[in-house]
Amino acid sequence: MNDRANEIAAIVSKHRERHGALLSILETVQRTNEHNYLPKQELVMVAKELGVPLSQVYSVVTFYAFFNLKAQGEHVITVCRGTACHTRGSKPLLDKVLHMLGIELDEDGMATTPDYRFTVHTVACFGQCALAPVIAIDGVIHSMVTEEKLTTMIEALSAHKEGA
Amino acid sequence: MDKKMVTLSVDGKTVTVPEGTRILDACKVAGIKVPSLCYLEDVSAHGSCGICVVEIEGFKRLVRSCLHTVQQDMVIHTHTDRVMRARKLNLELLLANHPLLCTTCERNLNCELQSLALQLGVRESRFERTKKSLLPIDSSSSSIIRDPNACILCNRCVEVCAKVQEVHAIEMMGRGLRTTVSTFFDEGLASSVCTNCGQCSLVCPTGAITEKSHESEVFDAIADPNLVVLVQTAPAIRVGLGEAMGLGEGSLVTGKMVSALRTLGFDRVFDTQFSADLTIMEESHELIHRLTSGGTLPMITSCSPGWIKFIETFYPEQLEHLSSCKSPQQMFGSIAKTYYAERAGIDPRKIRVVSIMPCTAKKFEAGRSEIDSAFSYWREQGSFTDDEYFCDVDYVLTTRELARMLQRIGIDFAHLEEGKFDDPLGQSTGSAVLFGATGGVMEAALRTAYETITKTTLDDLEFEQIRIGEGIREATIMIGETPLKVAVANTLANARVLLDQIQEGKSPYAFIEVMACPDGCIGGGGQPIPSTKEIRRKRAMSIYEEDRGMPIRKSHENPSIQELYTSFLVQPLGHLSHQLLHTTYVKRGEYPD
Repeated sequence: MNDRANEIAAIVSKHRERHGALLSILETVQRTNEHNYLPKQELVMVAKELGVPLSQVYSVVTFYAFFNLKAQGEHVITVCRGTACHTRGSKPLLDKVLHMLGIELDEDGMATTPDYRFTVHTVACFGQCALAPVIAIDGVIHSMVTEEKLTTMIEALSAHKEGA
Repeated sequence: MDKKMVTLSVDGKTVTVPEGTRILDACKVAGIKVPSLCYLEDVSAHGSCGICVVEIEGFKRLVRSCLHTVQQDMVIHTHTDRVMRARKLNLELLLANHPLLCTTCERNLNCELQSLALQLGVRESRFERTKKSLLPIDSSSSSIIRDPNACILCNRCVEVCAKVQEVHAIEMMGRGLRTTVSTFFDEGLASSVCTNCGQCSLVCPTGAITEKSHESEVFDAIADPNLVVLVQTAPAIRVGLGEAMGLGEGSLVTGKMVSALRTLGFDRVFDTQFSADLTIMEESHELIHRLTSGGTLPMITSCSPGWIKFIETFYPEQLEHLSSCKSPQQMFGSIAKTYYAERAGIDPRKIRVVSIMPCTAKKFEAGRSEIDSAFSYWREQGSFTDDEYFCDVDYVLTTRELARMLQRIGIDFAHLEEGKFDDPLGQSTGSAVLFGATGGVMEAALRTAYETITKTTLDDLEFEQIRIGEGIREATIMIGETPLKVAVANTLANARVLLDQIQEGKSPYAFIEVMACPDGCIGGGGQPIPSTKEIRRKRAMSIYEEDRGMPIRKSHENPSIQELYTSFLVQPLGHLSHQLLHTTYVKRGEYPD
């Protein structure tokens, strides 16, 4: 933790003087976190180093969907649950991926495998309704996904790590 | 320099106001009070509620009159059909997610949302609730309860906490439908930097922020025939309670308050002003001691528990500047359960001390673990065992809670006779009543310190330059040949200025008074709502009036205090004083480890 504290102090001092420093700092802290999220103790370090109230830091973090307050898996699978995707079967796809990974969505609509390999979450709409159903894997959008296609992709990701 | 004037038309009436005037205030000049909700004079113009909209010729959209300032030749219409429909719609939208549980709400009949619904003719809300579930109530604090379900997100509490107090305990969290006012990681006020000052509860337009009530516990104690229930009333209650009982703003109701408390069933009606005089005895001697023995200066007063938690949290390295004197509330508790118990022949275990305070932080103070002097006193004498533990002060009620209790028994407050406090813990001086307004502790301490040091009579008792006024006031008082530089601050944002000065080694003062709330206890977080600047000023004038009318105006001349020293405490700062009347503080820090 001590190393991490030094890292965070360095991140804060790099951005400190810039306007809107807090956002850049939080972005960097999240990116450099092992599980791509902002744990409570790291937010305390940021607030203390930057000299801003804890409440303000939490306000910013909870405002932007970009910031994660829960540990994220190495691969992030985003299932669209918009109307178009729903009518084209996004619910069975979501159930399939959750079943494959053996996890269940929490109250925030998110789930991460205990080994932090995968995070699954939903979004309301990608704006790619013509390509429904749509699933994003690590930021890459896959269109007209079928259960077979999905299974293949996830198996490939799982195998890749095991083989490495 | 005179401000440039601007002339405009409001509902066909021509008005001339200074440049920079809010449209809302210009309308007031024209005789129209535009309804508003999230706007809070001098503190917050958030513009989120959309109630204060007006129509301006040449503007496509309706304009929020709290946010915009006047321009030359503006033509404003405050109640066109379009305006009235927009206000009603905006209120209905707010009401959609507000629980309509008015009858059981603490703010029933004193709620801005309720009043607005009445004013704008909203008899039903056309909209269905959009928030799916109820949010948990934050009851972690010993002073304040927050019910986010009743919150309309007006942002007033956030602004008062951030701007007036610079505490930042609460903020807007989340976004959209999930937005709430909350603390860091939603951990609750008790784990936050909240100082319990309760200013948020004063400015909340609904019942979303209220004090943690102890009315039932006090009714129970009064009803218990085995208990002797003593009540003490803070100075600011006598200038606040009347408002909550339907009398005029700032009305002075000392005698009626005493009668009301007696009618309520308290066994003895005592006065925190007695222990305010006691505080002055101890604190002025502490100041003299620090001045003459090279002690830490400036010394800062320690009566305001919101202020105490503030310095413990944000300036823990400066605690040695605090006077070690307990607050008058706590001094009262320890004296009541030792000296008074002994004298009156009452088993201290059967005594319940109830405080009526203008303050929510006093609830927290009464529960501080380092404050249990009476019990320690008796245990040292071998009287009691550990499992018979009791606190010095058992229950703390705000002015608002007392008013509710009085209303509950159906008291005709306006026609009560003028009662008198019981002896001996009911006797006090003009100095003690001053504690209710900003600068008062300083003024009282100076009256006593002057006479103690110079051994001469102080002719002019009133220190105008440190009485109620803007921001930080300072003065140089000549004590004989020696100048004493003092400063007075109210609100924690102002306290910060003085503490930063100390931190930088640039504080020119020997003695500083800090009160957490605007204008001191008269503007305390437990006072009747509303508590505007204008109302606080009226309360202060009543405080000064009460001081002028007191037969004795200097703490050290209070005969009951003199008797207390002669027969019990021996001398200020003596051994017993230290045990019963002084305390220690906790280094808290702003950030958790």
